[in-house]
Formats: sequence, C-alpha cells, structure tokens
Amino acid sequence: LSYFCLFHSGAYCKMLLHAAKYPHCAVNGLLVAEKQKEKKKDSHSTPILCVDCIPLFHGTLALAPMLEVALTLIDTWCKENKYVIAGYYQANERTKDFRPNQVAEKVGARIAENFSEAAMIMVDSTRFTMGCYEPILAIYDHHENKWKCRDCNVDSFEDWCEAQKITSALLEGRSYESLIDFDNHLDDLRNDWTNPEINKSVLHLC
Amino acid sequence: GFDNWNVLIIVFTEMRDKLRKWREDNHRNSEQIVDVGEELINEHASKLGDDIWIIYEQVMIAALDCSRDDLAWTCLQELKRQFPGSQRVKRLAGMRLEALEKYEDASKQYDSILQDDPTNTAARKRKISILKAQGKSAEAIRELNEYLEQFVGDQEAWHELSELYINEHDYGKAAFCLEELMMTNPHNHLYCEQYAEVKYTQGGLENLELSRKYFAQALKLNNRNMRALFGLYMSASHIAACPKVNATVKKANVRYAAWATNQINRAYQVSHAMCCVLLKQ
Repeated sequence: LSYFCLFHSGAYCKMLLHAAKYPHCAVNGLLVAEKQKEKKKDSHSTPILCVDCIPLFHGTLALAPMLEVALTLIDTWCKENKYVIAGYYQANERTKDFRPNQVAEKVGARIAENFSEAAMIMVDSTRFTMGCYEPILAIYDHHENKWKCRDCNVDSFEDWCEAQKITSALLEGRSYESLIDFDNHLDDLRNDWTNPEINKSVLHLC
Repeated sequence: GFDNWNVLIIVFTEMRDKLRKWREDNHRNSEQIVDVGEELINEHASKLGDDIWIIYEQVMIAALDCSRDDLAWTCLQELKRQFPGSQRVKRLAGMRLEALEKYEDASKQYDSILQDDPTNTAARKRKISILKAQGKSAEAIRELNEYLEQFVGDQEAWHELSELYINEHDYGKAAFCLEELMMTNPHNHLYCEQYAEVKYTQGGLENLELSRKYFAQALKLNNRNMRALFGLYMSASHIAACPKVNATVKKANVRYAAWATNQINRAYQVSHAMCCVLLKQ
C-alpha cells in the first residue's frame, strides 16, 4: 500500500533552492503537511499534501544535538500552525550518490513514529537543471521497518506545471542566495527559517 | 566627465576589496566570485598590478565550481604564461582535471608534483580529495591519517579528518581529531562546540556530561554561540531526566537547563526573531 504524497509548488521549490545554494554540501530538511481533522476509514487513499518545506542543515548531517533542537522548535511551530511534520528530504554531498544513507533512514524513522505515512525524499542532483524539466525526487515509504522506493512523477504534484515554472524562475533569479536554513538561523537568530520572502515570491509567480 | 571617472575608480576598488575579503575568509561563494572576478579581469586588468595573479587563481577555482571551463582555462593560460614550471600552477591544472572528473589524469598531475617535491602538501591533499570525490571514504581516511603522521600540525587536515569520521558515524575517532584541535587551539569556541556535539551524539551518561561541559566551555569562549547555548540546554535536560543520576546531579542540571532557557529566550528577544519560542521545562 503506498501513501500518495503530493507536493505544493512552494515545498518543491524550496527543496531545490536549498540544494542549489550549497552545491558542494549535503543538505537536508523537513516537509510539513496540514493536520487532518479526522482520520477517515480509508484515509490512505487521501493524498498527503506537503504544503511547506523547512530547510535544516548543510554540510555535516550526522550530528544529533542541533537536529533535536530543530525538530523540537519546528514541531512547536507546526502545532501553532496546524501543521504536522510529514517528511524528510536529503541531497547527498556527491552528485552521483542519491541513495538514502543512515542519517536519512534514522531521521525518516523518527518522523514516521509521529506520522505513519511519513515520506523520505532523496534529491537526484544528476538530473538537476535550471529548466526543471522533470521532477528530480525519489520518494521512499516506510513499510515494516524498511524504506521502499516509489516513483516520483508529475502526478506527485498538486500542479507540476506551476511547480516547474516557479522553481525554474527562482533558480534563474538566484533566489537561493537568500534562502535561510536552520544552520543560518543558528548563525544569526534574525534569519527566519520560514523564508517569508521566498514564500512571497512563490505566491507572486502562482 | 570627472564624476564618472570617480565612480569607476570606486567601483573598481570595491570589487577588488570584495575579492580580497572572500579570499581571506576562504568563502566558497563561487558564483559571486565569478561575477565580480570576471568583470575585474576583463575590464580592469591593467589597474590590478601584481594582484592580478592571485585573482586569476581565485577566479579559476571559482569558475571550476560553476562549470565555467572557458573562464577557468583562460585564467590557467595566463598563470602558465607568467609562472612557467610552477608547482602551484600545476596543482591548479590538476584541479581543472578533477572538475572535469578526469581523476586518473589529475592524480598523475599531482604525482608528478610529488616526484619533484615529495613534501608538497597541497598535492597530497588534492589526491585525498579525489578519493573523497570518488566516494572512497575508507581510503581517504587512511591516506589522511598517513598524511597527519607526517604533518601533525596541519589543522585543516585534522578538521577534514574529523568530518570524514563523522560522516562514517565513527564518533570516537572524530572526537580524537577534535581533541587534537582543541589542544592546539584552546581559545577556539567552534572546536569546543563541535567536540560537544560529537560527544552528545555518541550518547550515554558520561558522554552527555562531557558534552555539557564542553558546550559550557564554548559559551565561556564566545557567549553568542547559539549552538553551544542550545547544546547546553539539551545536554543538561537529558542528564536531569536520566534515571541513573543522583538527586544532586539532577538538581544541578535542572539549574543549568533553566539558565540556558533564560539565555535562549533573551537571545530571541534581542534579535527580534519572528518565531516566538518558549522552551518549557
């Protein structure tokens, strides 16, 4: 049984902007979805809409303390905004390496503890282009303590054409230079990891 | 007229100073370096004097990062012409081969440098970078350890090794590397804080207590290190919550965590942060 996961344009675009800002580093982050009011009997047929993306770290991903801080703060923020942490994304340091590693599996499992339909997403940097002609993600679902890969195609998007147009435009405009991740926030608390400026740009282009 | 000329000079000096600052800070903002550097080289080469050579080097490396082989090639040719037979330029030629993923050719280039000069540390480090690029972590770690036996004072190498170990989840060995760095750089708050993070990740009560001590030490060295402050809160909270600790230790750590919470909240207030977070005990 695979849990259908849909990406909002803003969520997809921020993931790619994060990877573009640090092409020489591994990057990771979280995906959030709107909290469902009731769990219907056939709830697995309702797609989970990833409405936003919170970029976390760049560089060394395998240390625990700041990850725990981020998960705690973002969880609080989610509760205030009726969101739930629904997924984890990672782009590895080496372009050709797009398999999930121990960090991805651990964090993914941690998120799945609180949200059973959690998705783990790996970014395939080999197919990363300015034009964004195709989705470059691999989606993994958690089944019986294993991660199984599911194909990501245009159907995984709320509106692929919009996602493609917006992401491409923001890449061309070098918006990734102003993208804030949690590392940037820890360097200077004034840096806002909700990225309101980028959210505005996304809305403009919708 | 006269005004335009003044503006051009200001623009030129600003660009040159920007490049110098990025060089000194070892910033890897390659796209910006290419933007500023390419214009400086094309429009203002005559005004740069002897600075031009180090700028060619800086722009070349940034160009490699941005897949601008055309620009990298131009810079390399200028440097080859000015410094024929230079080992430093040979290394740059090697880096270009690396960027083109011609790892065997790059390796041969570095070997030829090492034949003439076996103590050339730059060439040795590039060879280790090739192993890293190829995903050969175990070999990279082995070579870097060998390198450090000979060049035990190379801080950049110790730090690189600590990162390689962290990526392999070998936290014990990563801690050892950071201990070396702390010994030779006792006032560096970043090394203290990174060491604390590694200890925390290793887990267990003893490592948590060590991590708390080193987060605290990092804060003493730099009271604005937010990672150290958050780390102090996390480690103290975990120790206080641990069933194995006695009442005295628990009480002390509850106090440390409360102090850290207070400091964190003040820091957020001071920075007028958008997200309102109150860490609850």
